[in-house]
Amino acid sequence: MSVEIPKSLKDLPNSSPRWVGRRVKRVEDPHLVTGRTEFIDNVVLPGMLHAAILRSPLAHARITSIDTSQAEKLPGVFAVVTGEDALRWSFPAPTVPEEWGTHCLATDKVRFVGEPVAAVAAVNRYVAEDALELIAVDYDSLPVVADATKAMDPDSPLVIEEKGTNVMLQRVFTWGEVDAAFAYADRVFTEKFRWHRLGANPLETFGVIAQWDPVEQSLTLRASVQAATHFGLGRAAVLGLPSNKVRVVAHPHGGSFGGRGGTRGTDVTALLTRKAGGRPVKWIEDRTEYLTAGGSQSWDRYYEVSLAVKNDGRVTGLDVKLLDDMGANGEGFGAICTAKPLACFTGPYTIPVARYDLTIVATNKLPQSPYRGMGPPPHNCVLEQMMDIAARGLDVDPAELRRKNFIPKDAFPYTIASGNEYDSGDYELVLDKALELADYPQLRRQQAEARAEGRCVGIGVVSAIEPGVFDWNSYSVVGVQGTGVPEGATVGMDIMGKFTIRVGFALEGQGQYTLATQLVADYFNVEFDDITVVYLDTQSAPPAFGPGGSRLGVALSGAVLGACERLKAKLVKVAAGLFQMDPEHVELMDGKLVAKGVAGVEMPLAQVAGTMLARSDLLPPDVDPRPEATYVWTAPGRTEPDEEGRAKSYLTAAQAVHVVMLEVDADTGMVEILRYCAVDDCGTRLNPATVEGQIEGSIAQGVGAALLEEYVYDEEGQILTSSFMDYLLPTINEVPLTEKAFIETPSPFTPLGAKGCGEGAMHTTPAAILSAINDALAPLGVQATEVPASPNRLWTLIRSAQPQPAGD
Amino acid sequence: MTTQQRVRLTVNGVSHEASVDPRTTLADFLRGELALTGTHVGCEHGVCGACTVLLEGRAVRACLMLAVQADGANLMTVEGLEDHGNLHPIQEAFVEEHGLQCGFCTPGFLMTVHELLRKSPDPSDAEIRDALGGQICRCTGYLAILRSVRLAAAKLRDSHVAGSTQHS
Repeated sequence: MSVEIPKSLKDLPNSSPRWVGRRVKRVEDPHLVTGRTEFIDNVVLPGMLHAAILRSPLAHARITSIDTSQAEKLPGVFAVVTGEDALRWSFPAPTVPEEWGTHCLATDKVRFVGEPVAAVAAVNRYVAEDALELIAVDYDSLPVVADATKAMDPDSPLVIEEKGTNVMLQRVFTWGEVDAAFAYADRVFTEKFRWHRLGANPLETFGVIAQWDPVEQSLTLRASVQAATHFGLGRAAVLGLPSNKVRVVAHPHGGSFGGRGGTRGTDVTALLTRKAGGRPVKWIEDRTEYLTAGGSQSWDRYYEVSLAVKNDGRVTGLDVKLLDDMGANGEGFGAICTAKPLACFTGPYTIPVARYDLTIVATNKLPQSPYRGMGPPPHNCVLEQMMDIAARGLDVDPAELRRKNFIPKDAFPYTIASGNEYDSGDYELVLDKALELADYPQLRRQQAEARAEGRCVGIGVVSAIEPGVFDWNSYSVVGVQGTGVPEGATVGMDIMGKFTIRVGFALEGQGQYTLATQLVADYFNVEFDDITVVYLDTQSAPPAFGPGGSRLGVALSGAVLGACERLKAKLVKVAAGLFQMDPEHVELMDGKLVAKGVAGVEMPLAQVAGTMLARSDLLPPDVDPRPEATYVWTAPGRTEPDEEGRAKSYLTAAQAVHVVMLEVDADTGMVEILRYCAVDDCGTRLNPATVEGQIEGSIAQGVGAALLEEYVYDEEGQILTSSFMDYLLPTINEVPLTEKAFIETPSPFTPLGAKGCGEGAMHTTPAAILSAINDALAPLGVQATEVPASPNRLWTLIRSAQPQPAGD
Repeated sequence: MTTQQRVRLTVNGVSHEASVDPRTTLADFLRGELALTGTHVGCEHGVCGACTVLLEGRAVRACLMLAVQADGANLMTVEGLEDHGNLHPIQEAFVEEHGLQCGFCTPGFLMTVHELLRKSPDPSDAEIRDALGGQICRCTGYLAILRSVRLAAAKLRDSHVAGSTQHS
């Protein structure tokens, strides 16, 4: 049955929609503000045990012996597992790139500090940790490779010896005549950048309760997990179980941002429940475990970037060389973050050709995981610094250089050099609005006055694309197979006319249950209280990926509206039968089934649904008697990648311009943000409060990335940042009072014209802050090329600056 | 096995008595023994503030206290804010101003705000930021929280002016 998803609010069968597009209160909130929401650690099961994991204190070592006998004897301990159990009951984890994985418990070697070596299940976490202290492990230290730039040396220690190399992937992508563009350029600008590890840090760490059924040989996992279906399939692969023998019940969780992790810890916990004869085992990752050994670390990068530019300001070529330190293996899927830049490689610009020289290496550090933005945040940051370098080199205003190179508004849909297609946009309008919001000329005057007083004040004007609605094909270049990311929803009514929406993902903060409720409320013209959203686990749910890659607002609206359309078609057929008319002459409008053009012939929804449920004998023979329908939405028009990785991947391209003014204190290197203006265009805003929340939240994370957050390892691979006292998250005192405005250029490809916006300003804020810092430092002749631009780094840079002669 | 110790305390107006392993944190005691799972644990080293509860009206980090240290004390947790499903004005304000997304940090914020507004019913933005500087939120970026606290202060001032003593 073909379904036409409504393309705008006008297409809804409602003459005055009340909910979609409004700042409605969230249905999730009453439970959250009263502390009632069932986060995973709230769950207590009969006979439940608690796990603790013994982790390697060394970055690279051979395990010569392991003795768990004393731990096993401790009262209250019910199971102990080691690498022996992992070999017996599991396979190495699936990885990206493929075949760069190891077992969930170290079998012969440890390869990063924090790698699990053994685990215990006991009556409570305190006793379990007591037991860890009784496990005796002997290690023979091995030389450590902790520097990615040395990982390719012929005499470098090998992280996974069987691979014969530390190079996980090495490939050059050439899109167009890049050498010619650089040869014929008037100016070529080149710079190197270093972006240090940072990561998601949701407030709730990972947690799981695993229960093995020895009779069925099946596993039930209750977990605080983002993508339940894929999580379940991964565990089935690791534990050697058929896909229908792993059931995942995802719980509402405390944020994710791509870096919830938990795969290895779950596999370990699964071994424990099996060893404990099927008693449920709960593992709650603590914060230090998360920081050092969880889904916490991303984007450990060395960049060399070149821009080919004409004297008139046109950028004619982009050349990016990236060395990414992936850590000890590919199990965290962090490599995906080196592939996503293809979806927006040349940013909002008409740069016609580009090259991407990508090398991913293994080192004795934590394997990288994804983090909000999935790779473009550092990529956009370095591209925007290059635009600024070009602007300074050409003596052109940085805002005007952007304008000169923007994709014009009549050029959409626009295919970029690396193959993705941007759906729509009006970049100049966004730029103008941002400059107006900031009063840009006034900012420059204020800067001039401050500089005359000897203060280091800088202004950054940057623009970035924020891709939305991901597809697997954008990660093909790192070995991810497949195209198409489905999202399904079922919309149904009961005999009293109340609605239930069934979905296959759990809450993580973006208000998606509220969005689903808004859509059904407007479609069928009912109240919020008439609608309940129900989560279905992997055994019962329609195909569902859930949140990720800024997809769910769009994908869920497609799924829900598609289900509404199918349900409407059924209701129309039934009503037509009852009216003894042709279905073509019956329609749904404002919550009633009405005969078109015939006054007085109508029936309320509840009555139609009630008839279907109570009087299936009265229904036309080809109508399924349940007043419910399911629809699975997938992004239209996705293509298979070609040999250079080009594909239509991310469906939508939101765009933003940020204008930032900040001051660098020359004595301390500290940065104070004076003004922060953000204008974004993410198409139709289905719930403006949600959109603004994503923008404000991602700006805060961008501030953290630019100024504060860094995981530090020493030369022995020892992690030095293992608590929040060293890894600094922004507090309320670090975030600017952002001034916001927006444009809505609808997407022609999505339900209701919305674009993905969940990852939001994370794509743009680090670029904006670094740009402003470099504008502040420009008169000193120095440049910040390392992120985070911590006080120490900026202070050192400023100290190294030579005084500039007057008049330069 | 260590010797258990008896603890008596009052939480949200209800008296409790239990035997605990002395090394049990207050957070684990509230969540486990008393099944008051609204108080969340985010870091277990006192930085994030998710575990904040009120002890004799003062905000404390339940992860950094032992249950035995709360012997004889009067505590309030997030469960003590609502009244049989009716939201406290602070909770209402957070809902109206979207001062939460995933909600994991929210109980800690609510308790800290409760203490702030009791001491300072009309706080400036600078006072709010100072009081909340020890609470981490990873989702909202804090601006909606700032707006929520301003609204909560206004709601509480209005309810006092109207003579209501239901919420304090």
